Amino acid sequence: MNQERILDCTGLSMHFGGLAALSDLDLFVNRGEVLGLVGPNGSGKTTFFNVVSGIYRPTTGRVVFQGEDITGLSPQRIYHSGIVRTFQRSRLCLELTVFDNVMIGNHKRLDLGFWNNLVRRGRFLAQYEEGVERAGKLLAALNPALVARMFDPVGDLPMIDRRRIEICRALVGRPSLLFLDEPSAGMTHDETRQLMDEILNMGSYSEGLSIVLIEHEMNVIRRVTDRCVVLNFGRKLFEGSYDEVAADPVVQEAYLGKEVEEVE
Amino acid sequence: MPGSIQHNASVPGAVPNPGSAAKAGPLAGIVAAVAVTAYAAAFLLSESQGLILALLVGGAVAAGLAVRVGAHRAVARSLAAHGRLGDGLAVGMVLALMVIFHDDHYALFLVATILLYVVAVLGLNVQLGFTGLINFSCASFFGIGGYTAAMLGGHTGVPPLVILACGGVTAAVVGSILLLPVLRTSGHYSALVTMAFALLFKVFMEVNDAFGGPQGVDVAPMRLFGWDFSSDVEIGSYTGSFYLPYVLLALALAVGAFVLVRRIERSWIGLSLDAVRVDEVAGACFGIDIRRWKITAFTAGNFLAGVSGALYAMMLAYISPANFTFADSLIFLSILLLGGIGSSWGVVLATAVVVVVPEKFQVIQEYRFIIYSSLVLLMILFRPMGLLPRKVRAYRRQA
Repeated sequence: MNQERILDCTGLSMHFGGLAALSDLDLFVNRGEVLGLVGPNGSGKTTFFNVVSGIYRPTTGRVVFQGEDITGLSPQRIYHSGIVRTFQRSRLCLELTVFDNVMIGNHKRLDLGFWNNLVRRGRFLAQYEEGVERAGKLLAALNPALVARMFDPVGDLPMIDRRRIEICRALVGRPSLLFLDEPSAGMTHDETRQLMDEILNMGSYSEGLSIVLIEHEMNVIRRVTDRCVVLNFGRKLFEGSYDEVAADPVVQEAYLGKEVEEVE
Repeated sequence: MPGSIQHNASVPGAVPNPGSAAKAGPLAGIVAAVAVTAYAAAFLLSESQGLILALLVGGAVAAGLAVRVGAHRAVARSLAAHGRLGDGLAVGMVLALMVIFHDDHYALFLVATILLYVVAVLGLNVQLGFTGLINFSCASFFGIGGYTAAMLGGHTGVPPLVILACGGVTAAVVGSILLLPVLRTSGHYSALVTMAFALLFKVFMEVNDAFGGPQGVDVAPMRLFGWDFSSDVEIGSYTGSFYLPYVLLALALAVGAFVLVRRIERSWIGLSLDAVRVDEVAGACFGIDIRRWKITAFTAGNFLAGVSGALYAMMLAYISPANFTFADSLIFLSILLLGGIGSSWGVVLATAVVVVVPEKFQVIQEYRFIIYSSLVLLMILFRPMGLLPRKVRAYRRQA
């Protein structure tokens, strides 16, 4: 096993007052793999995303990404290092256009200087055309119909297209590591299946992309993940392939509860 | 070019031009501009309160009818199809009013006031409309510009055109005192910080005799290339009001501010400001530097307020703290709400309405705050996007 660890977290804890949302978590992601992060509600999955993406500063522990210690850096710095995420409740800017939302994800490539934005409009417009082309290619790969709606507000589009735009926004900056926080939320089974296929196809857009996926739909986890980590009460309960996870009695107990042994 | 994506076989059809429409002629836009100019001129000319009331009602009915028959859409299409037509017509309207009222001090004073308020509210638009930073002390920054003009014009030999810039810079620098509390708070708390500043500013000006105290202070008039703006214009046998050059300079400022704000909107800077307003956390996760953009927007907005305040003070020739109260800040805010938050054209329209109507329709003068507040409430209830709602961003001007 000479796989390269792209992300390596050791002893990660996150306390909110007396509540330990994460405690002493060791977790790694290999380059190019899809890691499923599962566990009951409140087990610390989203907290883990928030800690690694810089929204929270961990109470203890270290996060190493591509050999660099990124513990406690700002979300901006972490984005620039190559980690992007989606949000559980899609946090797109609904009143902005599809193009605007995708370009927010492309922020690291945008020239934000006053001179080039406000005075040298020719230079800006050249960059704009480049952005239109880039966004168009990405949208076309997910849903060709979206290209024609590139300048419509996102709020006018159905949920599955909003999810697609979120994926585009995350991928347009060519990240190395993508966190997907429950992409199936609010969608039907068929839509979820379709979207997951699309996401996996997008892997080719970003070379060697690794994905960490939070998902409650076990079918999705079974189909797309290489490896799973099960969290419960902020601790790692189990780690292994989907089949191992599904067969494990401890995991079953965490999800379904203990079998009642003594019945009166 | 957007069309180049067509090379990709999986893309059906071309990327549409943002806001594209079937090519419409310029006629509808021109007719609308002439009608609005005639209406504005009639309004400014009328003296009797009955006539003004009739004009107000008539204007409202005509606007309602135009919307009913879809004329507004024809006008919008016509203006959208000819990118610079709308800008040109707006400037042309001001020039036409200058010709019609060339010797009417009062009407010209109102036109110049509108133009200067437009500059200040455009600044507020960058702060609140784009970035979501609420600022209840816009009139204070307007006043800082005014007092800068008074101090520099009275005690130094700084050229008046430079004084305008100094007014803007002073407002921006004083505003930076507020940056720390504004950055550390958000939403309502940031509103409270600016409210406190507005009240503080007025008291500070009242108790400081160096700034004229409550009685106020004289302001030296604008001078440009040795030309004193306080004397009537005489070109041959033609005599014009001394307000004419002020209107012209105010128009130049307004056009400059408008172009600047629109370019901000149609750039990656505007996109970043919008992202800060809509969702700071999501923005931060995509590398957007929240503090940087808040500082940029707050400073730029205060600069515009300061520049316009400086010229306004020169035009008034005399200012006092009573010109720049918290209530005036509320008027600036209500203009933005009325016109449509984030909408630059909305700012222009709403400023004209809010400045002119109470001045001409004296009956409501005493009740104008009640009327403003009910108007704002009605707008929020029935037309929250304002008179001319902000459109989605199109980066490129259409043909």
